[in-house]
Amino acid sequence: MLNEWWSDLKYRLRALVSRRVLDRELDDEVRFHLDLEARKLEQQGVPPAEARRRAVLAFGGVQAAKEASRDGRGLAWLDHARRDLRYAWRGLRTSPGFTVAVVATLALGLGANTAMFGIVDELLFRPPAYLRDPARVHRVFLESTDRNGRSSLPEMAYRRFLDLTRGTSSFTTTAAVFVSPLAVGTGRDVGEMPVGGVSASFFDLFDAPPVLGRYFSRAEDSTGNGAAVTVLSYGYWQGKLGADSTVIGRTVQVGPNEAVVIGITPPGFAGTESGAPPVLYLPINTFAASLIGRNDEYYRNYDWSWMQMLVRRAPDVTVAAAATDLTRALQTSWLEELALSPRSQPPLDVARPAVLVEPVLEERGPNQSSTSRVAGWVTGVTLIVLLIACANVANLLLARSLRRRREIALRIALGVSRARLAAQLLTESLLLATLGGAAGLAVGFWGSRLLRVLFLPDRPTGQPLGPRVLGLAFLATVFAGIATGLAPVFQNRRGDVASGIGGRELTPARSRLRAALLVAQAALSVVLLVGAGLFVRSLAEVRSLRLGYDAEPVVYVRTRLRGLNLPDEARADLARRLEDAARALPGIESASRALTVPFWLSRSSDLWVAGIDSVERLGHFGLQAGTADYFKTMGTRILRGRGITAEDRANTPLVMVVSEAMGQTLWPGRDPIGECVRVGADTMPCTTVVGVAENTHVRSFTSDPGLQYYLPADQFLPAEDGLLLRVRGRGADRAEEIRKQLQPLMPGTAYVAVMPLASIVAPNRRSWELGAAMFLVFGALALVIAAVGLYGVIGYGVVQRTREFGVRIALGASRPAILRMVVGDGFRFAAAGLILGGLIALFAGSRIGPLLFGIGPRDPLVFGTVTVALLVAAALASLVPAWRATRVDPNEALRSE
Amino acid sequence: MDPKLDLPQGTLDLLILKAVSTGPLHGWAISERIHQVSEAVLQIPQGSLYPALHRLERRGWIAAEWGASDSNRRAKFYTLTRAGRRQLEAEAIAWDRLTAAVSLVMAMR
Repeated sequence: MLNEWWSDLKYRLRALVSRRVLDRELDDEVRFHLDLEARKLEQQGVPPAEARRRAVLAFGGVQAAKEASRDGRGLAWLDHARRDLRYAWRGLRTSPGFTVAVVATLALGLGANTAMFGIVDELLFRPPAYLRDPARVHRVFLESTDRNGRSSLPEMAYRRFLDLTRGTSSFTTTAAVFVSPLAVGTGRDVGEMPVGGVSASFFDLFDAPPVLGRYFSRAEDSTGNGAAVTVLSYGYWQGKLGADSTVIGRTVQVGPNEAVVIGITPPGFAGTESGAPPVLYLPINTFAASLIGRNDEYYRNYDWSWMQMLVRRAPDVTVAAAATDLTRALQTSWLEELALSPRSQPPLDVARPAVLVEPVLEERGPNQSSTSRVAGWVTGVTLIVLLIACANVANLLLARSLRRRREIALRIALGVSRARLAAQLLTESLLLATLGGAAGLAVGFWGSRLLRVLFLPDRPTGQPLGPRVLGLAFLATVFAGIATGLAPVFQNRRGDVASGIGGRELTPARSRLRAALLVAQAALSVVLLVGAGLFVRSLAEVRSLRLGYDAEPVVYVRTRLRGLNLPDEARADLARRLEDAARALPGIESASRALTVPFWLSRSSDLWVAGIDSVERLGHFGLQAGTADYFKTMGTRILRGRGITAEDRANTPLVMVVSEAMGQTLWPGRDPIGECVRVGADTMPCTTVVGVAENTHVRSFTSDPGLQYYLPADQFLPAEDGLLLRVRGRGADRAEEIRKQLQPLMPGTAYVAVMPLASIVAPNRRSWELGAAMFLVFGALALVIAAVGLYGVIGYGVVQRTREFGVRIALGASRPAILRMVVGDGFRFAAAGLILGGLIALFAGSRIGPLLFGIGPRDPLVFGTVTVALLVAAALASLVPAWRATRVDPNEALRSE
Repeated sequence: MDPKLDLPQGTLDLLILKAVSTGPLHGWAISERIHQVSEAVLQIPQGSLYPALHRLERRGWIAAEWGASDSNRRAKFYTLTRAGRRQLEAEAIAWDRLTAAVSLVMAMR
């Protein structure tokens, strides 16, 4: 068998290399045969000329035999392919307009896909750079049931990480990681940058030897006592330190620590977390101390769930076995936690804690962001755009092959096999697809840059189109080539040779295939436009949603003491001075201290209300503390009673303002004003409800019951030092100026950060913004492609029916009647597409429902608008050819053939 | 009655392999040899002879070599290779079994 293959290969290679020699040899061989045959006949007494004739006759078609012998060489396909390619290329060069139209259409379709593949690849498939054997590295999720139901979260306490590491044997590496902004640098250069707190084992997950120096040792990351050392990212080292090779041993101010640089990561190393990659790394024990000051309890108790755990499975351990191992360890850890603080968690049989062993990429885990889900939808959208582009190109190719009917019929009559003909047509479409794919790569390259800004704003621009993306783009190109080529092939299979050669039909039968393609294009455009409409409406709803406060004019000012240990009075004093200074700034309308910030910081406290067993069970009640101008600053309306005033001091009766929803939840059907709530413990004195405020969205746009209560800052946690300012104009325009004015008040290395509230709230709208933008762009693209396709088909039909129109006009048909006839054709296609696409959209709507906001997936306004848009596009696309049809001169039309 | 018979499918390769098993032959001689040995019953369709030869050569069952013919003209001679001989043996056995089986069925009363 092997021998046979080898001989086959040798033969084919020889045939490939010395095709001409083989052809000549074949000629010689056949001539020799004919000579011998003729001589034999001559010897039997046949005259020479006749002998020759009979010899050739007996051979039975010298050319066919030669052709068959060449086929026997197994190389015919190559030969044919070369000829087909040359033929196709010549054909395309003679009709540049057609070629450009097809290549541009395919380039848009393929480019959109390439770009989107790139985004999805990066979000969901590309493992972190340098990660060794990514399939064995996992992110650990803890699953448990509490009063809010069952949830799975990746965050855990450091103590839990220690328990799970000690309690398992399935892993070669367990690592802890947490990325958070910390102040890096000193003086004017200070800024908050993402810093990675990682266990010393973290770098063992990678094959990423440091460019300079080394990574953390176990001793530098010892529990409760991290060393002040840091590993810099390559980017930070290059950008901020000028790639100075003597940097090892120097110090960088990170949070409260002066950390000694011990190593530099290789270029492109970005850790394992999504979002902006860390500029530098600290041992996670050092990091924990930076975040929570001197509190060294974080490795003893379970209060603070913050870091995430990564594991590398040992070679012989399955994912399921790893999960079982971790779950067992988690149960032990759970019991230890309950022993430490009995009320902190539900008991084991209620919580049923379990561990999920998920892929290392965050977006692949159970808590996928809506950005990823929208990215998935948009990929579907780009595939539809590609389908529309293919349908359009198939239609153009069909029109072209109809024009070439006579030529093709002639070739069939001359004995070209249908298979060869099909191969030829496919070669043409594949050539077009390849050109389109090449142009599409350029489109995809630029497109992916654009899309990155939308989908991955914090990621550094890496390699935009990896090998996986290029592979997919190649597959899409081949698909496009074959899909577009099939239509003409089928058309010709049914071709009738005689009528093709005759080529004189008064009204050529309309191609049902072309009509089907057009309707499909229109239908798919309808689907996309409906999607666009739904997202645009959702976005409008989200934007006009009354949050219960104004985000635009508000800025949030917070202080970072960087380990500076101020007594409570000094902190309160600093807060008051900051508030006074801020109030004195020009353009500040009002200011209030604040404990929490919508979508950023939340707090809660235990509540006791007479007649209610467990307030907790009724929902999550958010706590806000503010000063007298709080409601004015935020723009939250007081519906009844009063807000917080300057008279609500530490020594006056305790008061609170509740949201309308909270009032209705705790005292249904009663006026909450005057009711008593005990805050923090059931032995506390009454806090009296004095006002009802409107509901606010502070945790989610979609599902936030708005259970919120407000306490005077002087009566609750007076040392808190967050500050909300309401400015004239947009907060975003004033933030930097305010920061510069307030910074001089800060003692030592402490600093102040100013964030516009709008920039905190806006990212929560991103998925709708993305959906609206992407669906709109691709929907419009689809509509344009479909309209151009319709224009092409109607226009072609008009040219074909020139004689018919001539006859009609000669017989007295009015020009408006002709116009109506042609435009009516266009409308028929559009109507069929509308019905089909509308049905698909209705069907698919239920799946997209969860991503929408404030409207149903069957919103009549959206469907109505799309109907109008499609009909207008159809009218525009068919009016020009229709007008041309009315211009037909009967004399000329009837004489032309 | 026409003395020539149509070749059953697949037998052409077997005949060619058999014909060249006795020594190198060129194309025309192969067709002549089969014609003579079969007492003029089998006539190789000459149009398919050369494609068959090239196919067999590609498979490595016969080897081709340019040499001088009886009339001292350049001709391409085909010889059976070792692989070809194995193939011939296998096909010959299969052929014998087939013909024996067919005769059994035809002898049925």
